[in-house]
Formats: sequence, C-alpha cells, structure tokens
Amino acid sequence: MRGLLTLAVAVFPVFGQVTYEQLRDPASRPGDWLTYSGNYASYRHSPLRDITAVNASALEIKWIYQARIMEKFQTTPLVADGVMYITTPPNDVAALDAATGVKIWEYRRRIPSKVQTCCGQVNRGLAILGDRLFMATVDAHAVALDRKTGRVLWDVEMADFQLGYSATHAPLVIKDKVLMGVAGGEYGIRGFLDAYDVASGKRAWRFYTVAGPGEAGSESWQGDSWKTGGAPIWITGSYDPELNLTYWGTGNPGPDWNGDVRQGDNLYSASVVALDSDTGRLKWHFQFTPHDVHDWDATQIMMLVDQQVGGRARKTLVTANRNGFYYVLDRATGEFLHASPFVKQTWAKEIDGKTGRPARLPGTLPSAQGTRVYPQVAGGTNWMSPAYNPGTGLFYVAVREGSSLYYQGEALYKPGARYQGGFFNNERVMEDWYGAVRALDPATGALRWEHRLFQPPWAGVLSTAGGVVFAGTEDGYFKALDAMSGREVWHLNLGGRVIASPMSFAVKGVQRVAIAAGSSLFVLGLRSASEPR
Amino acid sequence: MSVPRLCWLMLLPSLLAAQSRDRNPHTSPKDVAEGRRMYALFCVFCHGMDGASGRGARLATTFRRHGTSDLDQYRVIANGVPGTEMSGHFLEEEEIWRILAFVRTLERATPHGACATGPGSVGAGRTSFVERGCLGCHSVGAEGSGRLGPDLNGIGAARTREHLRDSLSDPGRSVAPGYRTVLVTVRNGGGEVRGVLLTQDEYTVHLMDGGERIRSFRREELSGIQFPGGSNMPAYAALAGTEMDSLLSYLCSLQGGALR
Ligand code: HEC
Ligand code: HEC
Repeated sequence: MRGLLTLAVAVFPVFGQVTYEQLRDPASRPGDWLTYSGNYASYRHSPLRDITAVNASALEIKWIYQARIMEKFQTTPLVADGVMYITTPPNDVAALDAATGVKIWEYRRRIPSKVQTCCGQVNRGLAILGDRLFMATVDAHAVALDRKTGRVLWDVEMADFQLGYSATHAPLVIKDKVLMGVAGGEYGIRGFLDAYDVASGKRAWRFYTVAGPGEAGSESWQGDSWKTGGAPIWITGSYDPELNLTYWGTGNPGPDWNGDVRQGDNLYSASVVALDSDTGRLKWHFQFTPHDVHDWDATQIMMLVDQQVGGRARKTLVTANRNGFYYVLDRATGEFLHASPFVKQTWAKEIDGKTGRPARLPGTLPSAQGTRVYPQVAGGTNWMSPAYNPGTGLFYVAVREGSSLYYQGEALYKPGARYQGGFFNNERVMEDWYGAVRALDPATGALRWEHRLFQPPWAGVLSTAGGVVFAGTEDGYFKALDAMSGREVWHLNLGGRVIASPMSFAVKGVQRVAIAAGSSLFVLGLRSASEPR
Repeated sequence: MSVPRLCWLMLLPSLLAAQSRDRNPHTSPKDVAEGRRMYALFCVFCHGMDGASGRGARLATTFRRHGTSDLDQYRVIANGVPGTEMSGHFLEEEEIWRILAFVRTLERATPHGACATGPGSVGAGRTSFVERGCLGCHSVGAEGSGRLGPDLNGIGAARTREHLRDSLSDPGRSVAPGYRTVLVTVRNGGGEVRGVLLTQDEYTVHLMDGGERIRSFRREELSGIQFPGGSNMPAYAALAGTEMDSLLSYLCSLQGGALR
C-alpha cells in the first residue's frame, strides 16, 4: 500500500498532498485556495496581485461551468494542484481542470425526497486534506471523497434528517479532524458541531450548541425548550493554531419568532463559541443577541485579526452580525471590546460597553399584527463572506439595509416539521430597501467608504493583494471595486443572481477569479496576449 | 383500479402509504380552519398568509404549474418539487388534506374577490368601452392591442365591482401590479420621459413611453428617476351614473376566455 502510494506520487508529481501545514500557511501555495475562506483567519483575501484597480477593466470570462440545476448555487470552489473542486446543489461534487473548466470527474449523491432545509437544498463547498475532500450534506451526513476519483471513502450520518437536521456549509479541516455542524434552526433541532477523524470518519467529539441539563448555560432555557432549541451551525468556522481554538457562529434559537416558549437567554444560540480543536471543549462564548426573536443567526464569518485596539495590540475576533452591529472581541478570552452599528437598526438602545449585552428597545418584539424592525429579517448582513485586506487594513462587508415586519405566531413542535413560531413580510417595506459594500475600520467599525447597490446582496466579497474588492449583485452583476476608495472599476452581467462568495486562484501563475452566478460557475481573468494555455 | 395503475402504485409504496384518495375528503369549515392553522405553522414562511407575499410559488391564483387536481396538489405538498425550495413534508395525510382545503380558499380569494352583478347593460358598456378609446391602452384577449395598461381579459373574475369603479374614477388609488409610473430626466438636456416602468436594475432603467416605445437608459445617462405614484390612466370620474354602471357590468362580464 505504502509503496503503491509512493509510486503514484512519483508518477503524478503534480498531485501533491495537501498538508495541515499548508492549510495553516496557504502562502506556501499562493496559486491555490485550500479552505472555504482562503485561510484559517477567514480573510477571504488572495495574495495574488495581477488584477489591479487599474487593469481590472480588462477582465473577461475565461471559462464557464454550466451546472444543470434550479437550486441556488452557493459554492466557493477549492483549487489545489491545478484542479478545482466544487459542489453543486444539492450535494454533487465536480473536479474541473482549473485552466479550462473541463470536468474530470463527478460525484452524484442521491438525496431522500423529504429532506428538510430552511431555504433550499444548498451547499457552500468542500474541505480538503491529503488526497481527500470532505462535504456536509443536506441529509445530514458527513462524507469523504477521494479527490482523484470522486469515490466515497466514508459516509457517516451526523443526525436524522427526518427530524429536520441538514447540513449546508463547507467543513473545516484542523490537523487530523474535519469539523462540521448541522443546520435546522427552523425545525426545532438541537444544534451541534462535530469533529470526525479524517481517515476513518469516526467521530472524535461533539459540542452541543444548546446547553442541556447539567451543562453550563442550561439555566438559560425554560423547561424542556432546550430539546428543540435550534442554534444550528451553517457557516464555516475559523481557527487560531497558536491558541488551538476554533470559532463558530451559531444560529437562531427555535422557534424563531416566538420566544415565549423558551424564556431565557437561550445559550449558546446567536453566539460565537471558542472550542479547543482537539477536544471540542468550550473555552469561552459570547452571545450577540440574547433571547433572539428576529431570526438573527450569528452564522456570519468570524474573522481573526491581530490589531491595535484602544492603543493595545490584541488578538481579536471581528464580525459583522446579522443583528446590525459590528463586534470586536478578544479571541483569547472572549472579552468584549467594541460594538457599533454598521446598518440602520431600531431594536437596541445601546450595547453595554462592558458586557456587550444589548439593551432592547420596547415595542420591537414580533407581534400578531407585525412589528416593523430594522434590520430586515435577513439581517444587516448574512452568511455571505466579508473580507479583510492586511494591506489596506480594511474590513469589507456586503450589507443589507431595510426593515421587515416580524409576526409572532403559534409555536407547535412536530418532529420533522417547521417550528418557527411566526413569520415575516418584506413586501410592504420596500421603500428603504437597498444594499452596499462597506469598508470598515476593523478596530472601531468606523465607515471608511461605501459602494451602494440597488438591491440588498446575497453575494460575499473577495479582497485581493492587487487592491481590488470583488462583489456580486442580486440582478446578476459581478463587479470590481478599488479597495482604497470603493470606486467601481469594472462590471459584467453574468445573467443570474449571485448568491455566493468569490475566490481567487492562479493558472500557471496567472490570476483567476471564480464566482457562481445563476446556475453556472464563471472564471475570469485579464485579457492578455500571453495567455497560459 | 386498472392494472397499470396498480403496478405503478406498487412501485411507489411510499406514495400509497401517504395518500389513499383522489379527492380531498376534509373540506368542512372546521377542516379549513384547522388547515389555516397548520398553514400558518408550516407554509406561511414561503407562501405568505395570503398566498401571495412569500418567496414560494403564488398560491392566490387558480394557476398551478404542477396540476390543479386535489391529488396533484396533495402530491406536491407531501413530496415536494425536486430541485426547488418546496420540500416534501412530514405531515399526516389528514393534515395535508386540511391544509389543501385552506389553500383552495386562497385560490378563489383573488386579491379583491370576484365581481358581483349590478345595474347597467353589458352591451352598452361594451360600446362605451370602445368609443371611449379604452382599447388605446388596453386589450381584451385577442381584441385590441393597447399595451400601456393591463390586458383586461378575466378582470371580472379577479376584481370586485367596487375596485373596478375606483380603477376608473381614481386610477391612482391602487395601481395594478407591473404598471408603476416612472418619470426620468435625461442628462444634457435630454428632457423628461414618462412611462410605465418595465424593469430596473443596478445599472439600467427600462420603460414604455406614451408611444408604446420601449426606452432603455443607463442610470448614468439620467439625472433623475422619480416614481410620481399614481397611474398612467386618465381618471374617468365624470362618467354619468348609467354609463359608469354599464362599463362596470361590461368589465364584470370579462370572466376570462380562450387565451387564459
Ligand atoms: C421553503 C419554502 C416553502 C415552504 C415552507 C413551502 N413551500 Fe410550497 N412551494 C415553494 C416553492 C419555491 C414552490 C415552487 C416550486 C416550483 O418551482 O415549481 C412551491 C410550490 C407549491 C405548490 C405548487 C404550486 C403550483 O404552481 O403547482 C403548492 C400547492 C405549495 N407549494 C403548497 C405548499 C404548502 C401547502 C406548504 C406547507 C405545507 C408549502 N407549500 C410549504 C416553497 C415552499
Ligand atoms: C392612457 C392609457 C389608458 C387609457 C386610455 C385607459 N386606461 Fe385603464 N389603465 C391604464 C393603466 C396604465 C392601468 C394600470 C395602472 C392602474 O391600475 O391604474 C390601467 C388600469 C385599468 C384597470 C385596472 C386593472 C386592474 O388590474 O385592476 C381597469 C379596470 C381599467 N384600466 C379600465 C379602463 C377603461 C374601462 C378605460 C376606458 C374608459 C381605460 N381603462 C382607459 C391605462 C389606460
């Protein structure tokens, strides 16, 4: 077996193994993109600098991969050794030649017909280690594939999909484990994050995001409400190798809009949890929205930025939360350092300067006749990725302005059925409904520039060392902004909603940018005479 | 039961288990009330309480892409539509039937309810419809080619008499969906262009002007975009009572024809 492996490596040297050390230090493979957010700190920043604010007008499509799908296309591709790996909904995987888009292999997964998901049978991407790919599926399985053939190496059930469990985010590999959690915050699940042994698929640990009896935080749930408490995991976490802590944002408590049946803060919903990556033990947590009743999941990217805060060098965690506030925390201790609104918000009088706890304004709870609150139900931002450029020192985020009408309704739990306790309406509140890409000072949240968008976006942003921020729009445009000023330098109509976050890689050293839009994946690069073929 | 049908059912035991009738056996007012309650639990998130204001398919219409029979709709609700957000549901057979009984009420409850009969002659109404030049902006199925206003074929099935009266005497009060008035100001002395908004996006605005020309503008060409509210239809407030009654009777008689 060993000998065969060595032989394979010798014959196809181009297929090097992706190691944990490389995941830690992606600069060692600058033309690749090895994790969902590009690095463990979740910068979604490419070190490539071919494309600049000056030459971006020469961007053109290099190839297109047409997926035959109707579902929303949310994948962030991975690229390693000249091969691109993507997921297409629900849980198919394709390996494409990164230079041409030609399909090398495809894995097609049969999904049971009654899979329950909040908002579509979507998937956001893969994780990679060695010669394996990892995926979390909408029927709540953890799957490992051989990255040369697409063959299934192991497939384990995380939870029973018939109870409303699903999974949609790209996993995160740390050392010899792959981490992934479950979605289902609209179905009365009890959320958790799992770690599986990459080789065997054996579960190494599980962290429940809803504190149960006997666990710290269980006093924050009334009666048995913890059993259906939600707090799903549906966006990829971050990792600090020095602290050995992995950070995951958790979703809304269940039921979404009727908090009466779950009095208390509902830990650890709408929070970030910092876990020991070896054991899954909780080191600290911070709850952005105690007792959330607006469906404001904290499933936004947790970005790890070392920076000066208040004149002191700090290892911080920063995040723009769905509740409308931008937060800065000390990521070693969880200490609250700062919060300020990054969109219009009408629900919190203030955020306590010491504890970070919001003071809720009266009259902002969902009601039978509907209560109008800013931000909108989808939040000031959502799962679409922000980006951080160490060169400009700016935090870039796609934001959603506007309000929703929040309705409280009956809360009735029925296994495998929706458990939302109300609903919302956006149709009657369209007047101040718009979007923007905003650049914030990462220490203070102060606005540095804004690029306005006609519609609130569902597309994330990518930052590049060439000084460009890429963004997408609801009406199908992909655009490049000057990272210093926010000025638009290029755009193209891709012909379908952009509901994904862009990434960047290189073909024979030449920079490419990839974005899913509509039902296709587009790869773009600069027009040039000396094209690599 | 025919043999092929039997085979088919044996091939799909889950379907057989899930449903045993072709027609909804649960349609009493009590069923509808219980169905409404369950709709508010399991369906409202995507379809809205009115069947029109959600992210899913519009249910406040008789149109059904996946079939209109009870059985068709039962199957969609139970099994979902593959590849879309509409997933199958873990609900009991009875629950699905009751929900469907409520969904059926949405279907009939077109936004304003149907037109009641009233005074006024349909024939005289039709004459005045033609003479007043309504067809300059409207069509009625295959008749007329006015494009600035909506096709009125079927309007009598979709609107109440009161709503139609308001549409004529005070058109700005409730503007038909898709007929928003837009007024753009073109830079460099290009003047103002008024029309019906066709679509707009990040970079462009498209409208149909008074001459039924489709005009497309890049936002950067425009110094202003206004939505004055109101309708592009002139108010017919001064119509004499009998003519108004006849026009309304004519419009009410338009129950939808061959083109639907
Ligand atoms: C997650 C969102 C979602 C939920 C929840 C949902 N639907 Fe749907 N529904 C959709 C979408 C999207 C479609 C359109 C599918 C398509 O493209 O054909 C649809 C289609 C339908 C159709 C078929 C319409 C047609 O034109 O044939 C019916 C009937 C329907 N839904 C009823 C229900 C009922 C009843 C419930 C609750 C038990 C429900 N839906 C829950 C999203 C949803
Ligand atoms: C100059 C163009 C114009 C003329 C002439 C005109 N209409 Fe209209 N009509 C419109 C437009 C535009 C709308 C859509 C906006 C609105 O609802 O007011 C409309 C809407 C309507 C509606 C409401 C449709 C709905 O879906 O609710 C009715 C009914 C109607 N017109 C009837 C008439 C009749 C009857 C006449 C003649 C007496 C007439 N219109 C003449 C432009 C016109």
